[in-house]
Amino acid sequence: MRELSLHILDALQNSLEAGANRVELEIEEDPLADRLHITIRDNGRGMSAEQLARAFDPFYTTRKTRHVGLGLPLFKAAAQRCNGDVTLTSQEGRGTTLEATFQYSHIDRAPLGDMARTLLAFLLAGRSDLAYRHRRGGREFAFDTAEIRTALGGLPFSHPEVRRWLEEFIAEGEASLEEPMR
Amino acid sequence: MDLKTIVRELALEVRAAAGNLERPVTGGYASDLLSCVMAKAQAGNLWVTLQGHPNIVAVASLLNLAGLVVTEGVTPDPATLSRAEEEGIPILTTPLTTYTVVGRLFALGIPGVER
Repeated sequence: MRELSLHILDALQNSLEAGANRVELEIEEDPLADRLHITIRDNGRGMSAEQLARAFDPFYTTRKTRHVGLGLPLFKAAAQRCNGDVTLTSQEGRGTTLEATFQYSHIDRAPLGDMARTLLAFLLAGRSDLAYRHRRGGREFAFDTAEIRTALGGLPFSHPEVRRWLEEFIAEGEASLEEPMR
Repeated sequence: MDLKTIVRELALEVRAAAGNLERPVTGGYASDLLSCVMAKAQAGNLWVTLQGHPNIVAVASLLNLAGLVVTEGVTPDPATLSRAEEEGIPILTTPLTTYTVVGRLFALGIPGVER
């Protein structure tokens, strides 16, 4: 994929399909250590040992409509191409954690991409809450939609004004990571 | 034009599914980004890439491609070859670069895919 955010969105969708109602997403860009870490932790139904063993096999999928599933295999291949890896740990009934690492400066590492659009797509696609934390160098942008939901008093994220606010809130937060250090 | 003719004209080495070379090739596509291939390549196309990972077989199988040319002397993983054999996806290898392979395919009259 041309942007890592597409792999992230794909993995977030797996969490929704696993019935998660709370997902933690952490992105840590560490140019000094030359690493990029992405962690996605969900409280979905988890995977059996057998499912876990085959999760990166492109010819294994829980999908019924076709016999190949490429989401995780492509994510792993992208990370391995950049001196990193994608690993999964899971407990049935408890949830699944995905950890991806990349060499930050690797020439084949795709850019992170549009995280604001990715997060919005996730929030509008399901009813799961999202705890998000994005660090770049010494800067950090974080939020928890459980808190935002409480503040909204029952208004759904799909409400046009809420949606617009969310879009701006996330876009501004992400942009704040880009600002040059003063 | 079928794969057998292309194999002969470009002196490609057949590494998997040697029994499936009769299929007509409807066109060609070249990329090493599998997500782009999934979006653009069409059934019956010959895909030119330098990736050797088993994921290429999954993509080719999903799209019902005619086969793959793996370029630049890359040796496909053993898992790639055994999967391709099972799925009946011909894997053809060559020391030539992707650019040269595509040029020769055009010279043989294999069109690109534009949509």
